[in-house]
Amino acid sequence: MFDATDSAASGSTPGVQAPRVGVFVCHCGGNISDVVDVKRVAEEAARMPDVVFTTTHMFHCSDPGQALIEQKIREHALTRVVVAACSPTLHQITFRRAVERAGLNQYLFEHVNIREHVSWVIEDKEAATAKASRLVRAAVNRARLLVPLDKRRIPIHPAALVIGGGVAGLMAARDLGDRGMKVTLIENRPFLGGRMAQLWNVFPTNEEARPLLSNLVRDVVKHPLITILTGAHVVNSEGVVGDFKTKIKIDARGVDERLTYPGNAIAACPEETISEFDFALSRRKAIYMPYPGCFPPIPAIDWHTCTKCGKCVAAVGGKGINLDAKSRELTLHSGVIILATGYDPYEPLLGEYGYGIFPKVITLQQLHRMLDPEGPTAGALPFDSNTPVRIGFLHCVGARQIDGVNAPQPDGKVKDYCARTCCTAAMHAAVALRERFPKSHITSFYQDMRTYGRGHEEYYEQASQQGVLFVRYSPWHPPRVDKDRTGKWPVVVRTNDLLTDGLPIEVPLDLLVLATGVVPHDISELVTMYSCAVGYDSFLLEVHPKLRPVELAVSGVFLAGCCQGPMDITEACSAASAAASKAAAMISQGQVEMDPFIASVDEEVCTGCQTCLTVCPYDAIVRDEARGLAIVSEALCTGCGTCAAACPSSAIQQAGFNDRQVRAEIDVLLGV
Amino acid sequence: MADIRDRYDALVIGGGIAGMQAALDLGEQGFEVLLVERTPSIGGVMVGLNKVFPTLDCSSCICTPRMAESAHHPRIRLQTYTEVRRVDAVGTGFRVELDCKPRYLDEEACIGCDECELACPIEVPHEFDDGLGARRAIYIPHGNAIPQKAVLDVEHCIFCGKCERVCPTNCLDFTAQSRTVHVDVGAVIVATGFDILPMGAKPEYGGRLPNVMSPMAMERIQSSNGPYGRVLRPADGKIPRSIAYIQCAGSRDRSIGVPYCSRVCCMYALKQALLLRHYIHDVDVTLYYMDIRAFGKGYEQFYRRAVAEGVKVVKGKVARVTEAENFDLLLRVELLDEGGRVDEHRYDLVVLSQGLIPAWHADGIIDIEEDADGFVHTPEIKLNPSFTTMPGVFVGGVAAGPKDIPDAIVEAGEAAMAAANYLKRFRWRSRTPAAAVAV
Ligand SMILES: Cc1cc2nc3c(=O)[nH]c(=O)nc-3n(C[C@H](O)[C@H](O)[C@H](O)COP(=O)(O)OP(=O)(O)OC[C@H]3O[C@@H](n4cnc5c(N)ncnc54)[C@H](O)[C@@H]3O)c2cc1C
Ligand code: SF4
Ligand code: SF4
Ligand code: SF4
Repeated sequence: MFDATDSAASGSTPGVQAPRVGVFVCHCGGNISDVVDVKRVAEEAARMPDVVFTTTHMFHCSDPGQALIEQKIREHALTRVVVAACSPTLHQITFRRAVERAGLNQYLFEHVNIREHVSWVIEDKEAATAKASRLVRAAVNRARLLVPLDKRRIPIHPAALVIGGGVAGLMAARDLGDRGMKVTLIENRPFLGGRMAQLWNVFPTNEEARPLLSNLVRDVVKHPLITILTGAHVVNSEGVVGDFKTKIKIDARGVDERLTYPGNAIAACPEETISEFDFALSRRKAIYMPYPGCFPPIPAIDWHTCTKCGKCVAAVGGKGINLDAKSRELTLHSGVIILATGYDPYEPLLGEYGYGIFPKVITLQQLHRMLDPEGPTAGALPFDSNTPVRIGFLHCVGARQIDGVNAPQPDGKVKDYCARTCCTAAMHAAVALRERFPKSHITSFYQDMRTYGRGHEEYYEQASQQGVLFVRYSPWHPPRVDKDRTGKWPVVVRTNDLLTDGLPIEVPLDLLVLATGVVPHDISELVTMYSCAVGYDSFLLEVHPKLRPVELAVSGVFLAGCCQGPMDITEACSAASAAASKAAAMISQGQVEMDPFIASVDEEVCTGCQTCLTVCPYDAIVRDEARGLAIVSEALCTGCGTCAAACPSSAIQQAGFNDRQVRAEIDVLLGV
Repeated sequence: MADIRDRYDALVIGGGIAGMQAALDLGEQGFEVLLVERTPSIGGVMVGLNKVFPTLDCSSCICTPRMAESAHHPRIRLQTYTEVRRVDAVGTGFRVELDCKPRYLDEEACIGCDECELACPIEVPHEFDDGLGARRAIYIPHGNAIPQKAVLDVEHCIFCGKCERVCPTNCLDFTAQSRTVHVDVGAVIVATGFDILPMGAKPEYGGRLPNVMSPMAMERIQSSNGPYGRVLRPADGKIPRSIAYIQCAGSRDRSIGVPYCSRVCCMYALKQALLLRHYIHDVDVTLYYMDIRAFGKGYEQFYRRAVAEGVKVVKGKVARVTEAENFDLLLRVELLDEGGRVDEHRYDLVVLSQGLIPAWHADGIIDIEEDADGFVHTPEIKLNPSFTTMPGVFVGGVAAGPKDIPDAIVEAGEAAMAAANYLKRFRWRSRTPAAAVAV
């Protein structure tokens, strides 16, 4: 049997009460008790040394369940508490708080997961009960050796860094600024506004996108507490919640406010490239502004295209343009970070539904640029309003893909998620086209019409009323886009229409619009820098998909908008404000509380071998040269325990997980 | 619990997941919040759900901690079993009139021992179990209720006095009256949530038949703390072997005044259907749908998983449901993927995926506008989706239109942020200077 005699447990350490352990085993409303005999687990725990009370409860996390724990702590003068329930990620905090309310130090509590680790993964009741019992007894043995610990309190630098200047980033910055907090907003591209600026008109209000966006940009720009940096890239990040030190590089813009007539400079520039803002529908100069009214309201120079010929400089008499401008670097301090790096529209593979092969196959984003009166075609489509043009919308391009049916993406995966916004966006565009081209024939090729939001279904209804034809295709047999053999039409879509008993049909079209999906903007450097979790769909992964949708697992880093998953503008703004709210709470409290589980070096024992320095993933250990010892930086230590395990002389102990505590647990687990 | 003060920073109306989140966000930012819930417990719909899509987390396991957190938060004052009677703008703030309904017992003294409930001779269908199980005329709302205090339902009580005799703290008070309380607040958040469309809304679906169920009843039946503890059909206690779901039953239907998509019913139906496949060996579960709207994060993948695990999905328009012998049901459906062929099927149980309608109307209480569909109007839906037509009044959760839990939580956070900035702008101060806004 285990060694039950190790007795710092008997209370010899000053300030540490002798162990009187209480064990609480949860049914989890059947989630556990359907498989695990919770009563037997409690009974077996009761036979462990120092255990003075055991019980079970239907839902220990509920208020009565917590009240019971508090009551029993007082009644039996418990000094250590073990709760066997669900995952500690869910309820460790809940129980620690209950323990604290009963007057005990919250770190005299030990959480055992007998749901995810036992009842949900073991079917055999006997085996499950045996495992649960052993885990609980091991925890008891460890709990006997627990000592009270104090939370670490880290002061918060009262400023926020928002990464991404699309609508979500702007909104988060505005909210924090209004709340009285200092904000720096950094944007990769030379201009603010993100993807929303490229839209012509938005559902469900049928408002023009850019005026709406400009109002927000104006609020942010004139805000005294908000600093905006465009063309800014994060190159390095250090520190943790409370004090992130983010090093950024700011591209040389080449242009400043003294440039009063940007048009002259742009006209003079001889170098052209495709316009990314217009999704390659137009060309722009090396010195350019993407659209009238952009912010900042001065051009930027694209150094890849610029040949430094100097014609622009000459055209404006040298004022406001500097072809030798250099990029600069600076370090920003912030207590919290909000990631709002957004999305990219899915770019169809070459030849996917004829994209890139047939000129009359375009994406919905391109259609938006065409419909924009300030866009490359000044709002005109290549048809006049009296021709009976045939237009098709193909839904779920680069979305809801099936492995084995759709060609894999460069990362080897298929885009198996729904992109959420494209159904409504396509219907919104279809209605607009029907109004503009009353003689048009519009066909929508779809799987399920996902016009779910408030005011979204109306577009679907309107489209049906206006005679848009709906062809339902099976994801197992996606439509084929070919050229018309008669040569009369630019493209033909061939598919089987499920709505007419799967009959094969051929729809010739003048224009095919691909309602393309949404992929996260590539932020792999940020992902590595901040150790963000990423889901299978490549979007950033929130801590808890249900309850904590705008927080990352990294403390102090929050999520806003489409970097987390597809959403429309409304939803991105909600997420941004929700993230701002969490960030504001952290900043207004002035400090964050952190678990005290950090490593410390016993100077008597340390031989200065530096093993720990080489293993620490967070560079939290430095060598005190004078004394030849290792020293742990409390602010940087995350309590990962790597050094404690590696130290050959056991000079490093981790609070809450010292060698004796861990050994006590292992002993019972191994049954020695 | 201390009595209600006469001044708070914010009033949150509705103690569902959205209301709790809004209150917590404001509390964490340093504001003093009054959270008013009209039923005897906070938790809203979520605390009664079985598991949640798409993670299949146990719903009460993730909802009850939020409830406990709200209840224990130093800056949140819970006020359950209370109606908001009137909210008037006064300056930039609001004067609120509350109607605190009597529980007919001394709430401070009640220890939640449940002795009264055991003693009471009157049984009433339990609303927490969608009318399936029973409760007594005096009862604790449910095992996870907060607060754990009994409430006497005066409609059904026969005043026999049995509860009074067994109560160990002698806390019953049959003469209690409702109380009117006035409070001043700087901002208001409406998070009043939703009801499920009444079962009889589309008579052709047989909503009144005993084996035609509401989705909420199915949630309760599937829950381990539900009325039967297992999945049985209500009419005769038989284990159902074949179950049909009718999607959009009372949504996307102008004829009954619910033209919008209820947004969660595709997913909850897939979730329930998948779980049924786990609970009942070889059960035949079929969803008759118009479109499967699995648009959220991880939802499409969940849809595929449900189908892979044997849930059948059929694009079809159900014409009617009628009762056959032995309480079985006959479902007549037009199969849209088979050229509109009409088919008839027999099922043991039918679940109507009923739509969501607002649980509350502002009419005569707050002067905010509603849309034609009855949900709170949000004039700046694109950039400020929580703004209502009245400055200082914000909306979150299903009160602003159907949505699932994560979306409700996000929106509640947004409403809290908007309210915080409103309070900041007008320098509202609740009475406790020490705890007042830090920034
Ligand atoms: C059958 C079913 C299954 C579902 N399953 C899932 C799922 O698996 N996953 C998921 O994400 N979502 C699911 N949902 C959706 C989920 O229930 C909602 O998204 C969520 O509960 C919304 O929370 P809420 O706070 O907005 O509303 P509610 O939960 O309705 O809360 C509103 C609260 O306000 C109170 N109230 C109302 N009026 C007043 C007033 N005048 N004064 C004071 N208080 C008032 C109400 O009593 C209630 O407590 C499901 C819905 C249904 C119907
Ligand atoms: S929103 Fe519509 S078009 Fe877009 S992926 Fe989802 S189902 Fe397909
Ligand atoms: S007095 Fe009313 S509530 Fe009390 S036991 Fe009798 S019937 Fe029940
Ligand atoms: S969510 Fe699905 S079932 Fe519900 S109304 Fe929308 S489409 Fe119909």
